[in-house]
Amino acid sequence: MASKTPVTAVASVERLVLSGVSKTWEPEAGPVLDRVDIALGAGALVALIGSNGAGKTTLLRIAAGLIGPDEGRVRLDGFDPFSDRREFQQRLGYLSAGQGGLYARISITGHLEYWARIAFVPRASRRNAIEGAIERFQLRDIASRRVDRLSTGQRQRARLAMAFLHDPTLVLLDEPQSSLDEEGIHVLNDVLAQYVDAGGTAVCCSPRGENIDSPSYVLDLHDGRLTRQ
Amino acid sequence: MNVALAYADAALGLLKRDARVFVSYRLRFLSQILGALFSVALFYYISRLVRVGTFRAPGAYFAYTVVGLVILEVLVSTVSVLPGRVRQELVAGTFEKVILSPFGAVAGIAAMTIFPFLMALVTGVITIAFAVVVFGMNLRWQTAPLSIPLAFVGGLAFLAFALLIAGAVIVFKQAQAGVGFLGTFISLIGGFFFPVALLPPWIQWLSRAQPFTPTLQLLRNLLVGTPLQGSPWVALLKIILWAIVLLPTAALALGYAVRSAQRRGTIIEY
Repeated sequence: MASKTPVTAVASVERLVLSGVSKTWEPEAGPVLDRVDIALGAGALVALIGSNGAGKTTLLRIAAGLIGPDEGRVRLDGFDPFSDRREFQQRLGYLSAGQGGLYARISITGHLEYWARIAFVPRASRRNAIEGAIERFQLRDIASRRVDRLSTGQRQRARLAMAFLHDPTLVLLDEPQSSLDEEGIHVLNDVLAQYVDAGGTAVCCSPRGENIDSPSYVLDLHDGRLTRQ
Repeated sequence: MNVALAYADAALGLLKRDARVFVSYRLRFLSQILGALFSVALFYYISRLVRVGTFRAPGAYFAYTVVGLVILEVLVSTVSVLPGRVRQELVAGTFEKVILSPFGAVAGIAAMTIFPFLMALVTGVITIAFAVVVFGMNLRWQTAPLSIPLAFVGGLAFLAFALLIAGAVIVFKQAQAGVGFLGTFISLIGGFFFPVALLPPWIQWLSRAQPFTPTLQLLRNLLVGTPLQGSPWVALLKIILWAIVLLPTAALALGYAVRSAQRRGTIIEY
């Protein structure tokens, strides 16, 4: 059953709010998102599922402010992704699907330093933030290695480390388990558990929601509408 | 952290990133320098072959083209390189991180010009030193140091064109052919390799209506003493006005292009 009221997390403070979000890529195929409403609170861990092409990535991209909806609005801690772009992006961690977003000839540490700077991590706390990300995702032994000399699973951990590095209030992770081995999935789940315990909000997207430990709830995207399971 | 400082720090982050990628290719700097030096040698021998009435002193045409080569390198490093870099980042998915950062797409694209611009300046200094030491080019030592700050001001005016073209890449995805055409056209009407007075009168207004010609003329005057046709202050004012007017306009246009591509959902397409 498609939800007619916002799909709301248990926590009282609304962190991520999507109101009436619609998006159509090809008019003849109908909307990929049809008036989607979401309100997620602090400390929520949400598994977003749906079949291939259901619109999960589009939903995440809109929630991240990467692309705009045809209709509706997005707010993160009250900030608009376009008119309050800087404040919005400082609070967001985003992991795109696939293996992109890395520079082949730069090391993991180099990537984290680069990201810390463009994410406006204050100079005084930058070193700790980078070291913390390396520790959390167990990248110590490979931190100085160039990305093109890493396995795809190791690259995925580096990408995840970037998503969490700047201490965002919301992380949107598109297929975060992709290419991770059992240990990597365990590391990811540990990080997610600590993150939501500390009040962070996380949305993990994958076709079946597998490998995400104890989500607060599961949202199923089907025919452009969200259903809470 | 102060917002302006945060932006400056982020720009340094991009500079450091580009430097890391550059030095990871060990022979890149050497090949870039060798390319510039071979061009100097080529123009030296061409200048021995031809006699141009406009240049009275021996070697004047050689000095004229050496400065043209250096500024062409700066022009290429901004106007021509940037669109290709933006497209490369779009294809690699790395531009997405820039868009989804507090630094943002517009500042990110502008900061992408810093490293190639500085490299062009370094290459330019080595090129001129080579022309002086090996081919005996007469450098005007007393005014030559002023060419560095002037190159920065000229670079700001050039940057405006680069931002406009980068905006076209964001919207249309493919702007390389246009960039190649524009680069050749600017070198034709800008007086990079011959005085604009040799151009047909009906097109000479174009040489006066852009920042490249006055930048070149001033730099030539400062570096090798090529006489100026008008006041140096008027030429400098032209360059500064171009930068003041066009740079914010170009930044706004690029911002509009980014937002428009985000609204339509094509920002991450390539």
